Amino acid sequence: MTGMGDRILGLCLLVLAVAYGWVAQQWPEPFGGAEGVGPETFPTMLAIVLVVGSLYLMIKPDADARWPVGKSALELVISIIVLVVYALLLEPLGFIISTTLAVGVLSWRMGAPPKGSFVTGLVSAVVVFGLFNYGLSLSLPNGLLGGF
Amino acid sequence: METIGFLMDGFAVALTPYNLMFALFGAFVGTLIGCLPGLGPANGVAILIPLAFTLGLPPETAMILLTSVYAGAMYGGRISSILLNIPGDEPAMMTCLDGYPMAQQGRAADALAISAIASFAGSLIGTIGLIMLAPVLARFALTFGPAEYFALFLLAFATLGGITGKNPMKTVIAATLGIMISTVGIDISTGTQRYTGGVLELYEGIDFILAIVGLFAISELLFFVEARMGKGRSKVKVGKLTLSFKEIVSTIPTQLRGGVLGFIAGVLPGAGASLGSFISYTLEKSVLGKKGRFGEGDIRGVVAPEAGNNGAASGALVPMLTLGVPGSGTTAVLLAMLISLNITPGPLMFTQNADIVWGVIAALLIGNVLLLVLNIPMIGVFVRLLSVPPMYLLPIVTMVAFVGIYSISHSTFDLYFMIVFGVGGFILRKLEIPMVPIILGLLLGPEMEKNLGHALILSDGDWTTLWSSPLAIGLWLVAGLGLVLPPLFGPLLRRRMRSAIKEGPVSD
Repeated sequence: MTGMGDRILGLCLLVLAVAYGWVAQQWPEPFGGAEGVGPETFPTMLAIVLVVGSLYLMIKPDADARWPVGKSALELVISIIVLVVYALLLEPLGFIISTTLAVGVLSWRMGAPPKGSFVTGLVSAVVVFGLFNYGLSLSLPNGLLGGF
Repeated sequence: METIGFLMDGFAVALTPYNLMFALFGAFVGTLIGCLPGLGPANGVAILIPLAFTLGLPPETAMILLTSVYAGAMYGGRISSILLNIPGDEPAMMTCLDGYPMAQQGRAADALAISAIASFAGSLIGTIGLIMLAPVLARFALTFGPAEYFALFLLAFATLGGITGKNPMKTVIAATLGIMISTVGIDISTGTQRYTGGVLELYEGIDFILAIVGLFAISELLFFVEARMGKGRSKVKVGKLTLSFKEIVSTIPTQLRGGVLGFIAGVLPGAGASLGSFISYTLEKSVLGKKGRFGEGDIRGVVAPEAGNNGAASGALVPMLTLGVPGSGTTAVLLAMLISLNITPGPLMFTQNADIVWGVIAALLIGNVLLLVLNIPMIGVFVRLLSVPPMYLLPIVTMVAFVGIYSISHSTFDLYFMIVFGVGGFILRKLEIPMVPIILGLLLGPEMEKNLGHALILSDGDWTTLWSSPLAIGLWLVAGLGLVLPPLFGPLLRRRMRSAIKEGPVSD
């Protein structure tokens, strides 16, 4: 069946719209009594619009996009993991070390030779760190290089 | 003639050494951003917002910086079109048609120089148009009540897909998603907690800056990873400048036509710079007809689209500054900056923040002169930077995005959120859900709700007030047309554009 992508998206959006609309109906009436518009009025309208939109997507989906499979998909997952790990390690390891690793791994996975990648990572990390900490006096985490 | 007076005040703001320095920096960075494939203007401005913010720049300086980046990016887009035959951004697509053949014939330097001049002419015409039109429109917009504003916001969403947009329903879905994200947090009028799930970080709502950076910058990185375009492409040698003065003079009519058409296309909702460059190229082709060698490296084929897209870029600022309703992705990002500076965009800005508005307009004029001066002698620098392959560049850009977001709040929570937006943006872009309506929804959602609330309170809860004035009805009608027309005329226009481009690259 064609248009699976859009149908699945439509289904997800439908669930989202219903949940979003349902949550809006649960809020307590604001202090001072109900007026013409409460906190739930606008979200309810949005939920209705999204329900209509998602149904339309499921009934009339567009042709499917080409989704990455195999190696491309793996590379994508690796990149996302690198980003998450980067955010995770930014404070404990400090800006310079974590940035060298993150930029290095990303460029290497995008096809650069490993040595060049990590040198790029290190240089860009040091330049940005210097610029921010000394030039703009915005402190980035020092981490392990505490006395730097 | 009070406009002239305001403009002079604007120059006084823009010409201070401090602001001038930022304008120069912005113009340089903007050109770079524009010419690097994969870093469109909206993307570039988005990455710079957190930086402008954390530097603690005064509002007018921040806006001058970002406007210069915007203008610069429009200049830069042509460099990769001419040398690599890949447009840096969508409006630069038409420049490939004659620019690349010129480069192949060894006239790359000429093509770059004449396109810089054409960009200058287009921008100048567009900015003059902006100066004349904006105050008039702002005065008119003062008559808008809450009901009219509500309709105007709908119009902005409806026309955002543009005349060439594919599936209007996807625009609607994207806008709704954006507005839904904007409702997270504590409701301003009643204090009810909405969709926070008790998470403290969500009480103030989701910061649209991190959403924008995630949706643009992170998803762009993922696209490059997927396409494995890390190595970049081969480019044409630049060679010597052989452009004669006579040749420049011969293109003046083309520059004027292109600039004016582009400006008009830029002001109209939903048309934008792509259409501006397309129309001016087609017009030029039909005006000159057989006298030109369009598609084989005719110099006017480079001039027309460049004048057009830069005219449109200035034109697109008109609705953004006067109504607070941006017509394109980049102007939406500029609007995000204004909102985060606590400036309420719209007609009142012309009276309450006149120094900022006119400072920005003056900066646009100054920026253009700077760009022209920068672009002719320094073209070599940009060309060399163009050969930095994306595999080094994009990770660094991503890192700068991380730094920018981190330095706003010093919390890694925001970084995770940004990654979530990036991955979500990637998936949605794959499914052809456009990003710009999401961002516009995020920005305009709170305003829309506020205006709806005001309109209903004024009318004692009578919903018909939303379409009771003739002006509101007009806006609703145009919004309706904006949704109905693209499916009818879009395929026709797209086919024309494609047949004009033939094997030209398809940018998203």
